[in-house]
Amino acid sequence: MTADGPTPADAAAPSGAAPSAGRRPGRVANGFGRYLCKHVAGAAVSLLLVLFSSFFIFRLIAGDPIDQLTKERPVSPEERAALRAELGLDRPMWEQFWDYIIGTLTMDLGDSFQYRRPIFDLIVERLPATILLSGTGMVLAVLLGFWIGTRTGWRQGSRYDRGHVAAGLLLYSAPTFWLGMIVILVFARYLGIFPVNGMRSPSTPPQFWPQALDIAHHLVLPVLTYTAVVYAGYLMIMRSSILDEIGSDYLTTARAKGLRDDQVRDRHAVPNALLPTVTLVFLAIGGIVNGSIVTEAVFSWPGLGSLFVQAVFYPDRPVLQALFVLFSASTILAVLAAEILYWFIDPRIRKS
Amino acid sequence: MNPHALTRRLLSAAAALLMSAGALAVAAPGAAQEEQTDSLLIATNQEVDTFNPFKRRFVITYNTSMMTYETLVRMGTDYEPVPGLATEWEESEDGLTWTFQIREGAEWSDGEPLTAQDVAYTYDLLIENQAIRDWNIDFAGNLVSAEAPDDTTFVLTLAQPSPWDVLTREVFIVPEHIWSQYPDPSADDANQLPLVGSGPFQVTEFETDEFIRLEANEHYWDGAPGFDEIVFDYYTETDAAVAALEAGEVDIVNGLNPAQIEALDGQDGITVNNAQGRRYVSLTLNYNSVTQDGTAFGDGHPALKDPIVRQAMHMAIDKAALVDRVLDGNGQPATSIIPEIFEQYHWDGGDSLLEFDIDAANALLDEAGYVRGEDGIRTMPGTGERLSFRFFQHADNTDYATVVQFVTEWWTELGLEIKPEAIEQGTLNDMAYLGEFDIAFSGWGVGPNPTEQLGMHTCAVLPTLTDGTERSSENNYCNPEFDALHEQQKVESDPDARAALIKEQQRMLYEDTPVIYLYYQNVLEAYNSDKITGMTLQPSDGGMITGQQGYAWSYVTAQPVGAAEEAGTPAWVWIAVAGAAVVVVAGAVVFALRRRKTADERE
Repeated sequence: MTADGPTPADAAAPSGAAPSAGRRPGRVANGFGRYLCKHVAGAAVSLLLVLFSSFFIFRLIAGDPIDQLTKERPVSPEERAALRAELGLDRPMWEQFWDYIIGTLTMDLGDSFQYRRPIFDLIVERLPATILLSGTGMVLAVLLGFWIGTRTGWRQGSRYDRGHVAAGLLLYSAPTFWLGMIVILVFARYLGIFPVNGMRSPSTPPQFWPQALDIAHHLVLPVLTYTAVVYAGYLMIMRSSILDEIGSDYLTTARAKGLRDDQVRDRHAVPNALLPTVTLVFLAIGGIVNGSIVTEAVFSWPGLGSLFVQAVFYPDRPVLQALFVLFSASTILAVLAAEILYWFIDPRIRKS
Repeated sequence: MNPHALTRRLLSAAAALLMSAGALAVAAPGAAQEEQTDSLLIATNQEVDTFNPFKRRFVITYNTSMMTYETLVRMGTDYEPVPGLATEWEESEDGLTWTFQIREGAEWSDGEPLTAQDVAYTYDLLIENQAIRDWNIDFAGNLVSAEAPDDTTFVLTLAQPSPWDVLTREVFIVPEHIWSQYPDPSADDANQLPLVGSGPFQVTEFETDEFIRLEANEHYWDGAPGFDEIVFDYYTETDAAVAALEAGEVDIVNGLNPAQIEALDGQDGITVNNAQGRRYVSLTLNYNSVTQDGTAFGDGHPALKDPIVRQAMHMAIDKAALVDRVLDGNGQPATSIIPEIFEQYHWDGGDSLLEFDIDAANALLDEAGYVRGEDGIRTMPGTGERLSFRFFQHADNTDYATVVQFVTEWWTELGLEIKPEAIEQGTLNDMAYLGEFDIAFSGWGVGPNPTEQLGMHTCAVLPTLTDGTERSSENNYCNPEFDALHEQQKVESDPDARAALIKEQQRMLYEDTPVIYLYYQNVLEAYNSDKITGMTLQPSDGGMITGQQGYAWSYVTAQPVGAAEEAGTPAWVWIAVAGAAVVVVAGAVVFALRRRKTADERE
């Protein structure tokens, strides 16, 4: 089956491309245009579906927002009505839907129920914190995962391999929440060398250097937790990718040239093994915005993840809608970018 | 290129980095010591809805408002009215006119004098500003006029006598000279930080989800507070807040569970405060889902309409056992709606108190004709319908899950079939207000003025629609006698006479059993007693720290113990950063050298 794999694709492709084989330059540009259109259209459809479903999904969460706003306090019917009008809940569904669509497309995301402030501001305020935490964690996790993955794959079955795969998978399957609490207890509570939570302490002087240092100090434990949980994913992909390459003829050739083992690995095996991981890296970049919801919650990190968790418990429908669209859009666009990039780095796609 | 040149350049860069890091390390602790601030750090997890005191709904902004602003009449440490911005007050014979003497010499935090004009301006907002009036309609709807004949006299006129609302309603007095500059005081414009108020601490800084800083008011008429600032620090998880308390990063933590206080109790420098709370937990029995015009809705079990059934169910609950087993003893068995913490209003059950007695409860049901079927489940006389009840519990509450286990066992002995179900809270609320349940959990925090809570049991707030959107009535209780007492207690100026009326209302609720009150839950808090001393509790004897009402007695009276700890980033962090820089630079050098070497080999 694997040997026959390419055949159906080859058979399908010529239907459009074969007759115009004579004009090569035009065909390439045309091919890229079509490829681009296809994927951009796909992404656009996904985005629209997300936009529409976001409105309805969060209306499935039961509960009256007014109950939360007036928690633990008796409310007169007049007060209830006033709140309902203020939040726009008294308007017909189609009107709310229309406002939501137009609003989202024009970046006017409306007001949050719980904060009663524009959601756009809420997101802008928290985005840097999220990018700082998950961006740092993601870069570390990718580098660490690829580094170890390359070496474990290269020496498959060795003690090094088994040890790293076991450790990685153990951390991968550990609940983030639990791991975070353990990290807090060990490093903050008992060793006392890192702060328990937050992004900075209120007593830090407002100047740039003390603030930057304080933030870096607070960043260590959440990044540690986040990296520990996700790096195994990159490790495993890189490992299997290396395993795919390991028996290839070109590696034998490289060895025959007299190159050292690690040179064969780093100069010849790794570049080829990296290709399948491009999607993964782009997904990771897209995922930086979604961040690390649980890590943020455990460490009270003031980012989008914390905002999302609060909004779910509230439930703060407009915030959930906006974040859902944002999270989905960042992933969809990252995947689109990866697909476009493939055109340039993987010749096989151009041929098909 | 000469390899040595590169190495030299890298080394000099490393040296420069090290020197600047070292200089910072020396400078930073010095800067922190210059201005030693005594900070009181309180763990919180609630977001800020608004800093507008008329609009706020959340506990966190209630707390910040209560410290930033002041009321005319303060709530004392035992929930009694004591002078605040008003030194004395007088109610007219007909109860419609109130005259307050405003304190002389009080100032706003910006140094401007506070006069009766500011008070009149504030109360006028409640009367004139449509949005502010709507948000506070239950109180504002009764106001006719607010006037300040001179700088120390304020006169308030009401439509109906309502002495306790006037005395206990928290109307936070705002500065006219700031608020009148803005076109609409109901918007958030007037709440630019730092806030200007007359209270002991003002909100000066707020970083969303990070912290809220309040600084002591140097113009405060009642003397400077012990701490220079109060900081509400955000902790999403209580477990993390507990770890922070143990590590000395936060000073006061609340909302603890029994396991957490057990772990904290006895630790050096940490004091646990196990105080009576304002919250009751109850079971709602769906016996009367009807609208004001008598339209029935929902699908409650018909047997619940029989007071005998409800009474038997009540008798078959061992509330003391629930307190012991569910709350680990951190609570009190409940009688009626007002918890023991409000001593003057709490009703202890008197002669009507039902003892836990399953046999007697069984006898009651036998006598009323509810005979047991072959499966041991009782059936209704006449229709023969089985007494099979749905029992809904909030899925996120582990306490409730334990209560369900106990109660189900007792009620099964009574010959009832109980079908427990855990439901997400939003859904449960929706179903409860639609009347689609038999038994469900409920619970409220009761305020120092019982009118609000008792008002949820009057016929006037029964729904007019059957769609479950009007959520003002607690289980559709409606009893004209209760309503009559309620109107009486609202206008009764004599505290003792009023308390007697309120106790009578509670007796009615107990005997009619629309709900079964299970227990009053304690407030579990802990604080760093190496750092804080002298906090006044509310109530003064064995009361709470964090959930105080009307005035922040605890935070204002808190005094720092000895010198505050060194603020800012600890010195070792600077050293660690310098060390890390050395490692990175050294690594870069080694790497570069190796690269050169392999490149040489390659050629």
